[in-house]
Amino acid sequence: MGQRKKFPVAGFILVILGCLMVLVPVYWMIITSFKPAPETFRNPPTLWPESFTLDAYRKVITDYSFGDFFGNSVIVVVGSTLLTILVATMAGFGASRFRFKGKGAFLGFVLVTQMFPSVIMLIPYFRILKLYGLINTHLGLIIVYISFQVPLCTWLMYSYFETIPKDLDSAAAIDGLNNWGIFRKIALPLSLPGIASTSIYAFINSWNEFQFAMVLTTTEDMKTVSVGIGQMIDDTMINWNDMMAASILASIPLILVFLFCQNLFFEGLTAGGVKQ
Amino acid sequence: MKGMIKHKGDLHQNRLGYAFTSPAFFVLVLMVVYPLIYGIVISFFDTNLVNKFDFVGLKYYKRLIVDGTFYASLGRTVVFTFFTVLGRAVLAILFANLLVMKNMPCKTLFRSILVLPWFFPDVVVGILWKWLYNANYGLFNFILRSLGLIDAPVEWLSNSSTAMWAVIMVAIWKGFPFMMVMLLAALQTISKDLYEAAELDGCGIFQRFLHVTLPGIMPVLSTTLMLEVMWCFKHFTLIWNLTKGGPVDATQVVSIDIYNTAFQYMRFGESSTRAVFVFVIIIVLTVLQKKMKRKED
Repeated sequence: MGQRKKFPVAGFILVILGCLMVLVPVYWMIITSFKPAPETFRNPPTLWPESFTLDAYRKVITDYSFGDFFGNSVIVVVGSTLLTILVATMAGFGASRFRFKGKGAFLGFVLVTQMFPSVIMLIPYFRILKLYGLINTHLGLIIVYISFQVPLCTWLMYSYFETIPKDLDSAAAIDGLNNWGIFRKIALPLSLPGIASTSIYAFINSWNEFQFAMVLTTTEDMKTVSVGIGQMIDDTMINWNDMMAASILASIPLILVFLFCQNLFFEGLTAGGVKQ
Repeated sequence: MKGMIKHKGDLHQNRLGYAFTSPAFFVLVLMVVYPLIYGIVISFFDTNLVNKFDFVGLKYYKRLIVDGTFYASLGRTVVFTFFTVLGRAVLAILFANLLVMKNMPCKTLFRSILVLPWFFPDVVVGILWKWLYNANYGLFNFILRSLGLIDAPVEWLSNSSTAMWAVIMVAIWKGFPFMMVMLLAALQTISKDLYEAAELDGCGIFQRFLHVTLPGIMPVLSTTLMLEVMWCFKHFTLIWNLTKGGPVDATQVVSIDIYNTAFQYMRFGESSTRAVFVFVIIIVLTVLQKKMKRKED
């Protein structure tokens, strides 16, 4: 027994090494973004900026359409996430609370869609959106992102509703609430943590998406952040300090999630998966 | 009478079930299945998607099977997927177990640090590592040279023998937190009594891991592994932003191959054929995995 109280030296060292593995690249990104351009071409590199400057941030925001990229991403990601959550919450509730014909098939199919390599839909979406004049529009990208997010979000919401006891529904039904009322007044408030973490999941994925946004936007002013900075790097005028500043700016929404909703996110994400 | 009520209830249940799931069903059919079928149809056509739609039947499928170029992309995808998932699993299992250790200090802080890579967009991670790998001014070469491990700077991403490994390293770094978080949750459901019992029986750390931990996390581990394999198999963004599939085609996995065939060479039909082929492979793999799982149970 005495052995168990001992400080886990080897384990502690491994964890510290793991943290370094994560933090060193992030540190490098941050300090590079504050260096003036010539200092990034120093060999050996300076491990702390000799002179701090915000030039890189200024250049990225004023010389490139970073504001446009960011705005497009916000519109597309928020729009698609809201619609996805509406659809997925209803479907998750329906599948968790009612026995209906084809329910098993529905849930199975939701999971099967995860197997589709998304690239198989790249050409069809390109063609279909072109046909309906939706290429290079926010609506077009929103539609595509909804199709990506609805299946897994439906599954996450279904798993979450399964963890909420069904007795509450019956109690509410006895109190005279109809099913829509039960959904709105009982299930929805109770599932808020699940909804929050599913929204965050959809938000992160959509903010990350690159390939479809690259194909389905054609003009500079419609590009999302991912596509925008992905192409910035091909510009010969751009330096590494600029690229790192752009990278940090592009990560802001996800870093905010990391800082303020991390625990909520992980609890909701793992709740359904583990308790099954 | 009783039966009738039950019957009526079933109808009610049916109607409500359909009402709540119909929007999702609508999305799945119209926005997932329809494009999917469209993609399969295109694979039988020689088309520029504008005015040329020539039916060519199985021509592209025959070419795919006879001509070996796509197999190379497929092979690279298997290498990428295997080592990326393996690396992620090793790191995830290691750190998840360390973070649930009884006397580990600052657990929350360490977990927050270790999940950090997950909260950077793929494109950002790609760009960041391209900078870290930079031959002349990158941190990676600087560290290795300071440690005396290499004499001259190495062009990690433009050397065809190192590019794939460099890309895999990045994919592991970016992806291990997801599995770690899932395993952390699973580990917390294992009863402490089991560990104590194992310890009383004289099991060492390794045996405890083998007989208590592993069975306890198995359901979550196998599900996340399967998800990881499917995600890695179709992964595009990190590789594209690091190497664009190069040098030459050293890191050209199927997703990049399919993208290039369509949008660089404008061979949309042939590109669709390749996508359908990958789709079939993933289905076969899933069916095999299900069968194996059933046998285990």
